[in-house]
Amino acid sequence: MRVPLTAVLRSEWTKLRTLRSTWWCTAVYVLVVGSFAWLAAATTRSAPTADSAVGVVLTGFAFGQVVLVVLGVLAVTSEFGGMALSSLVAVPRRTRLLAAKTAVVTAWAAVVTVLLVAGCVLAARTLVAVPGGVSPGDPEVLRAAGLQVAGAVLVTVLAAGLGAVLRSTAGALGLGIALVFVGPPALAIAGGRTAELLSQALPSLRVGEDSFLAVPTTWPVGLAVAGAWAAGAWAAGAVLLERRDV
Amino acid sequence: MIEVEGLTKRYRTRVAVDDVSFTVRPGRVTGFLGPNGSGKTTTMRCVLGLTRPTAGTATVLGVPYRELDVPMRRVGALVDPRARHPGRSAYAHLLALAQSNGLPAARVDAVVDLVGLGAVAHERVGGFSLGMGQRLGIAAALLGDPDVLLLDEPVNGLDPEGIRWVRELLRDLADEGRTVLVSSHLMSEMEDTADHLVVLGRGRLLADVAMADLLGRGASVRVRSPQGPLLAAALRRAGAAVSLEVDGALRVEGLGAAAVGDVAFAAAVPVHELTTVVASLEAAYLALTGADVEYRAGAA
Repeated sequence: MRVPLTAVLRSEWTKLRTLRSTWWCTAVYVLVVGSFAWLAAATTRSAPTADSAVGVVLTGFAFGQVVLVVLGVLAVTSEFGGMALSSLVAVPRRTRLLAAKTAVVTAWAAVVTVLLVAGCVLAARTLVAVPGGVSPGDPEVLRAAGLQVAGAVLVTVLAAGLGAVLRSTAGALGLGIALVFVGPPALAIAGGRTAELLSQALPSLRVGEDSFLAVPTTWPVGLAVAGAWAAGAWAAGAVLLERRDV
Repeated sequence: MIEVEGLTKRYRTRVAVDDVSFTVRPGRVTGFLGPNGSGKTTTMRCVLGLTRPTAGTATVLGVPYRELDVPMRRVGALVDPRARHPGRSAYAHLLALAQSNGLPAARVDAVVDLVGLGAVAHERVGGFSLGMGQRLGIAAALLGDPDVLLLDEPVNGLDPEGIRWVRELLRDLADEGRTVLVSSHLMSEMEDTADHLVVLGRGRLLADVAMADLLGRGASVRVRSPQGPLLAAALRRAGAAVSLEVDGALRVEGLGAAAVGDVAFAAAVPVHELTTVVASLEAAYLALTGADVEYRAGAA
């Protein structure tokens, strides 16, 4: 009888919840996104459409994404202070271990993001005057909310992948923050066609046309770019984890 | 059962393990000895699938470690007392490991009590001493009640009471029919524990012997007679190597005590003392590894 994947998932959840950094990151994420949402909603008297009102309130995620990078990176690099020896003796199938670890931290990021997005929509509904009101069932609102959750998931996967590639907290954090937080706006400010294209080719949490600190694209392009980065980084991390000696 | 076959691990500039083959059998404690840097840890990590060998194979219970279905039920390992996250409690660390192999949480409580960490189980392990870290590592190794145990320097940092506890534990585990491989760079630690020895030096296998054979190998006979020169001549004729000791006794190598007695009787030489001298294990070990110490203090 093989060990079922649920056993590895349960183990990874125990690892995640028993690190203080997880709870600090979650608290900071909620605080940053929540306070920006409240500030944006309170200072915006009115908006022409429901999805533009929600878009304004979601601004805080542009900054909150940094915390997701930290959360995703730490989930993996916290192993490489020695713990990896114990973890890989317990679960010698390495890609399976990384998959379970990524699934757990990403699920946690997704749950917290869903709750935050719901709060943001509620804030827009109660604080911003929109003709016809902000209905949570509005397809445009749902799309903005869904993109935000998808973006959070992809950034967390990307961060976990970077952690597995670099195996160092400082290195993976630096690269992750450069990719999703520093690069896109810096290139957007730099101007010029090349910089614009590069900015669009970087993974930005506020995917697609909603992007705040980056050059906007359509949302399917933004989602595809973020997805490709996440998949690429994670696959590279898995391959290197399988190959390298611990 | 652990089988290592032609194992070689080459790093960029040096060979850590060089064509090593040996088998660790169940029901006895096998001591894995060698000076620092002789390749013990690398060999153990190859067995556990943590390090990929350059050549050769290592199997546990007939299969490569990575192919074991529920690894912790078959193999328990202590690789490094620092193989934990300092921010987690001992209990959380062990719980995560137990869950990863589908072991019940009750096993965590059982091993925590067994290794004597009950009082500090919910404290963060970052504050643990080296000895407590070793106990935590041994607890993790025992979680799955495994058939095979690999412990890398388990008594490092333990106090005398802890060392005795580990010895008795290893003894009990072997007596229950399990396979026990325990490494150390100190012969004295093995003297009362191991039944069998695998000795490495500079990555090569120097010996794979029963403890008793290693002791016997260095044995000699001490004989004292008022007619020493006459006896010495008779012994040399019988094929023994004879040397004179400080107090006038003869040291005979190559013949057993009974044979020496017979030679004396045939030569009609009175014998006042006849003893078999067993070499100390430490001496036997040093004789074996003396030429193969990688890091030696330079002459002043």
